[in-house]
Formats: sequence, C-alpha cells, structure tokens
Amino acid sequence: MKRFVVSIFTIFLLLVLMFSCAPEASKQELSSETPIEILAPEDANGKFPYKRLSTYDFFTGEMAKLSPNSSLLPYQPASSLFTDYALKSRFISLPKDTQANIEGEELNFPIGTILVKNFYYSSDYRKPEGERRIIETRLMILEESGWEAYPYLWNESQTDAVLKVVGAEKEVRFINQAGKEQVINYLVPNKNQCKSCHNKNESLAPLGVQIRHLNHDIAYESGTENQLANWSKLGILVGFEGKAAHPSVVNYEDQSQALNDRAMAYLDINCSHCHRAEGPASTSGLFLTYGQQDPLKLGVYKTPVAAGKGAGSYTYDIVPGEGDASILLHRMNSTEIGVAMPELGRTSIHAEGVALIREWINQMDEK
Amino acid sequence: MTPKRTHHSFEMIRPLFLFVFGLILFSCSSQSSEQSFDSSSLRRATIEEVETLVEAFILAEDSSTIRIPEGFYDLKTQLILDNKKNIRIQGEGMDKTVLSFRNLKSGGEGVKIVGNNITIEDLSIEDAPGDGIKAQHTVGITFRKINVTWTNGDKSKNGTYAIYPVQCKHVLIDSCIASHSKDAGIYVGQSEDIVVKNSLAFGNVAGIEIENCDRAEVYGNTARDNAGGILVFNLPGLPKSDGRQTRIYNNDIVDNNHENFAIPLGEDPNGNTVTMIPPGSGVVLLAAKEVEIFNNRILRNKTYGVAISSYQVTGFPAEAPNWSPYTSDVYLHDNSYDRGSFSLPDLSRELGQLVSLYNAHGWLKTQDIIYDGIWDESISSSIESNPMRICIQEAGMESLRFTRFYLMEGEDNIASFSDSSPFQQCESTSKNALSLSL
Repeated sequence: MKRFVVSIFTIFLLLVLMFSCAPEASKQELSSETPIEILAPEDANGKFPYKRLSTYDFFTGEMAKLSPNSSLLPYQPASSLFTDYALKSRFISLPKDTQANIEGEELNFPIGTILVKNFYYSSDYRKPEGERRIIETRLMILEESGWEAYPYLWNESQTDAVLKVVGAEKEVRFINQAGKEQVINYLVPNKNQCKSCHNKNESLAPLGVQIRHLNHDIAYESGTENQLANWSKLGILVGFEGKAAHPSVVNYEDQSQALNDRAMAYLDINCSHCHRAEGPASTSGLFLTYGQQDPLKLGVYKTPVAAGKGAGSYTYDIVPGEGDASILLHRMNSTEIGVAMPELGRTSIHAEGVALIREWINQMDEK
Repeated sequence: MTPKRTHHSFEMIRPLFLFVFGLILFSCSSQSSEQSFDSSSLRRATIEEVETLVEAFILAEDSSTIRIPEGFYDLKTQLILDNKKNIRIQGEGMDKTVLSFRNLKSGGEGVKIVGNNITIEDLSIEDAPGDGIKAQHTVGITFRKINVTWTNGDKSKNGTYAIYPVQCKHVLIDSCIASHSKDAGIYVGQSEDIVVKNSLAFGNVAGIEIENCDRAEVYGNTARDNAGGILVFNLPGLPKSDGRQTRIYNNDIVDNNHENFAIPLGEDPNGNTVTMIPPGSGVVLLAAKEVEIFNNRILRNKTYGVAISSYQVTGFPAEAPNWSPYTSDVYLHDNSYDRGSFSLPDLSRELGQLVSLYNAHGWLKTQDIIYDGIWDESISSSIESNPMRICIQEAGMESLRFTRFYLMEGEDNIASFSDSSPFQQCESTSKNALSLSL
C-alpha cells in the first residue's frame, strides 16, 4: 500500500516536472573540419617537435604501413588503456649507444628517447589485419626538461601527419567484433590534455612504459620473449634481473588469470594514472593502483567527494556484491561528459571492461 | 562495523511529510535562473581566434600575460595552463570576455590551472559540463573578478563546482561571482591559507564551501539564494585528512532557500554530502575544527541560520585515519539573525525534517542556531560540560531560537533542548583555543 502511495506521488512529481521544466536547447552539431595545411618541406634539424611526422623518418616505405626503421623497437604493455576501441601500434627509440636502466621500481630512459604511439581503426574488427585508418600518432619525447607530448593528426590520404597542439575531432566508422557498424566520435586531445592522464606529481610521464606493464612475453619476429629480457639482450636496458625479480601486471583480457588480478590490471592501466597519490585525482582519495589493498582507498563503502552528477543515484564508489549500485561502474558505463570516467579518451562504453568490473564487484564479499 | 548506511527512516511522519512536501514544492523553495550578464549579444569569436586562445594556454611562457579580447568563445576543448609560473590570464571584463564550454566534448573542467603564482581575472566562464575552473597543486592562485555560471535551466545537469581550487596554497578569491552550480559555487578543497572575499554566490546548491582546508578567511561576501549559504566541511578518507581554522565574518548570508537541485527532484540524496543539505541553511559546519563565525548578517534562511553538526548525521561510515567526525572548537558571536516571516523549515531532507519536527520550539519553527549535540564520549560522559568546546555568544540570545538535539540513540529516542547555557560558558574553552591558534 505504501509503495502504491509513493508511486502515485512519483507520478505526480513527474507531471509537475514535465510542465515546469523548460526544454533543453537542441545541441549544436560540430561540422567544421580543420583543413590540414600544406606545409613547406622541413629539415630534420634535431629541434623537436617537427611539424610533420614524416620528418622524423620513423617509417620505411609507404608511411601508412607503419613499418618501423631499424631505430624503432616495438613494445606492448600487458594491459592496454581503452581509447574508444582504437588499435595501437607502439614503438620506442633510444638514441644510439644509450641505455635505459632499472632503479628499484623506476624505469629510467636517456634524454632523447622517443615513444611513438599510433592510433588506428580497422574497418572490420573481425579482420583486424585488413583495411585500416590511422587517426593520430602521439610522440612522447624525453627532453632535458622532462617528457613532452606531441600529437600528430593524420591526413585523409594517409600520407603524413601534422602536429596539432589544439586537438581535433574525427568521426570513425567500423564493423565491430559482433559484425555491427559502430560510429565513434574520436577526440584527439589537445597537447596539455595529454598530461591529464600522463601525470606523475605534475610532471608528464609515460603510462605503459613502466616495469610492471612491460614485464611479460610478446611475439617478436625471432620468437616469443620477455620484453625486458629482449631489451637487455639488445643492450638497451641494464638492471633487469629476470621476470620474477620485478613487478608485473596481467593482461586483463586473459581469461585464464584470476578475476581479481584481471580487474586490478584493468583499473591500474585505465584509472590509476589519475587515481593514485601522485596523480591529479588524488583529491578524491580513491586510489586504483595494482596491488592496492586498503578497501577504503579502493572505494569500498567510500562516499564520493567532488563527483557531482557522476554519483548518479548511488552512495558509494563500490558496494560489494552490487556492481550496478556502485558509482565506479556507473561512471564506466556512461558516455555523458561529467559522468564518464576516464574523463578523456573515451566517448564510447567499453562493454568488456564494464562486464569485467561488474563481475569483480559482484563477487566481492559483502562485509 | 556495519558499513551500510544508517537508515533514518522517519516512517511515522511520512504521510505528513508527503503532504507538506507537496505544499512546500509550490510555495517555499525558490528557484532561480538569474544571470549576472547577458553573453548572447557578444561578438562570436572565430574558429581561428578560439584556436589561438587554446594555443596561447598551451604555449604560454613563464612571466607572461595571456590577454583574451572581448568576445564569446565557443570552446570544444579544455583550456589548460600547465606548470607555468607568474602568468596573468586577463579578459576584458566579466561582461565582455566569455569562455563558453557548452560544446566541450571531453575533460573534467573548462579551465584547468597548475603552476605557481597564477592570476585569472576579468572574464566569465559558462556552461562547463564538469567544473568551471579548477586550479590544482598551485602555490599562489588568484581569481579576481571572474564570473562562473551555467546558463541552462536543467540544473541537476549543471556542473559541479564553479570556482574550484584544490590542493593549493595561498588562494585568493576576490570580487568573483559564482552561480547555478549543482554543488558549491566557490569550493576550496584540501588547500591552505585561503582568502575568499567580496564575492557573490547565488543560485547554487552551496554558496561557498571550505572543505578539508587550513586557515581560511571568508569575509565581505554575499551568499544568497543558495540551498546552503556557507559550508565548512571535513570529509573522511582524503589525502588532506582534516582541516582547521576557518573564520567567517562580515558576510551577508541571506535567503538561502533555493531548492537543493544536486539531485533530480524526488530522488533520494546520493553519496555526495551536499545532496543532504536542506534548503534554508545559512551556515553549516560538518566535522569542522576551529571555526569562528562573527559579524555576519544571517537573515531569512528558512530552516536554520547556523547548524553545528558532526559527520555522523550523514549516516555514512564515520571512520578514517587522522580524521575526526566531530565538530569542535566553534566560536559563534556577534552575528545578526532574522528568521523571516511566514517561513517554514525544509521537509525534503532528513536534517530539515529533524528541525521541522523535533526542534525545541515547536513544529515547523525556523531555528537560528542548531547543534546536533553529538559528542565524543571518550572526552566526557555528558554534553553539559561542553566537551566539543562550542562557544555561542550572541547578543539577545534569549530571543533567538536555539535547539540542541540528542541523537546519540538514533532515531528511536530523539530529544531536543532549548537551553544554550552549557555552550555560553566558554571563556576557557573554544574561544581561547581559537584566539591562540588564529
């Protein structure tokens, strides 16, 4: 009976709302595309950043094939940051006769190190080796003053990319793994937005190029090998003492791994760049680094601080046993700006990631 | 510990609540769509000008000024000033330079600032989907004559904070306007050495909020037509775990009877503490430490003028390292109060219901000062000894409505008392502690 009364009341309220609220102004559609300028040829004078990606001479042959020249080495983190289903090919280049070294938990690189990250979409995700469109290439260059990030936007004819510090927007269409057409409004970040994620104590820092994310096997042309062991063999890394001697993270897509490890790997690569003591979201007290043990810091029965509408109708970041009543999942499962997390790099929902974290929370003990 | 939220049900009063809530809906809680300036007739900046502005933030060099000419700038990306020193961001006036983030596609705030000795002045920021302007990890941040607002009507979809310095040192907010944010208009979080002065906050859920901060001076401001005027909170589980020493003086804290639109109408409060603030709140202290409130005009706030409360009233888990849920060392003096006429306290929030139904002066009576009366029993077995050192020295105390509640046994045994004398004998307690520390 009480429910009935309450629902009548709710209907009444809805009616009141319907008549009292002004209709939302229709959203303005963005149509303009910044034309890629015709740039004068430039010399590879060693003064970074160059205006054109081609000036760096990273790739041999047809540029869109992204075939690295001999100074680039492919690398791959164990778990990958979700960026709207974009595929990534990553390379690292160290200056000649220099080495990276491991000191404790830190992986240090020599000045002049360049990380090359290409973001592209396959036209059909059931055949990822087929036709593709490269959207952007992000360079991270270790300069005297620290890391700098430079986003390069590819042209439509896929012959080159130009530096675009103010960001851009690209509509991308592809057939997803379920065989359905998917449309994504891909956002290229502006240069300073890069640091919203790549931020360690307010200095720009790489995300995937850390020991725990690289300490695993990948397939090389010469066969499968631990990446850091391979780097050591090539003479570009010192201080690696075998996989077991250093931290490592699982691949969250690897279903043979323990659920907790997969979930923590997911949160680590997707969230902890901000949600850690050294990151910009330290303000929230929610820390999602791999190996975090403190339930309050993980969000268990933790109320939000500055979440605003991100909290939805929920009270706690994580309610054990109730994924769908947890703010953490609510924010992963939204594309609304102001609600959606991470704040950058995602305009679509990562269904597989949401499913993983939901299962993880659902299986937590209700304490 | 049972981490589930304590359920204050107030079941018995539900039918009454529904009836009166309906009444209130149509009569008392106000709404506001007031805008300080009209940006619609401003010249629209071209796409090139907008890109130049974005670039100016990215390429800014230390010790330089970023001038933003008159115009309406339709931004689709964030303006981020990153790790720069001695920068002045200068518009041509709140009514002339307008940065609109209505079409922002990603990013947590419109403008983000990190650095040292940064000033932003003479401009407006509109319609950011998250926060209007955020400064983080900045030593020396001045916001002067900036207006931050949301222009749409759908308020529960508005952004969270208008002016948002967090984890900063030496914060100055001077002659600013913050309106229509769905949380706090001026929100200073986890910062140290703060001045908020001569500013106006209206039409927000909370006007001015000082949260987990040390040494904040809040004076000469007007907080009007918010759901809550000025808030001093300490929330648990944050890197800056507890804050102390806030002084609130010479402010006009008036007519804060706006509906609490932090959540859609009819929905229950969520985990954001501000969603629990009852409309009609003048000043709210929550787990606050060492607060002095004096010479303010606290007028026509329909539920209460000042609420002194502990974190336990939220019903959330109240344990965290290096943090106490109690409000302690409060010195409240020489303020003027006016309860307004024909006003009824809020019934839409639990704290409003508590005031409406359990205050010591009779049903539906607006209160000047309420104290939740939750104390730390490890200090004293009785509240009569004023263990949390609450000092109230207001002129004409006998004509003010004061209620101290008794909530220590939960909702089954709520009691209230109008006797404020235990909290007026305070020469050796909070008052001295405060004057020593401030």
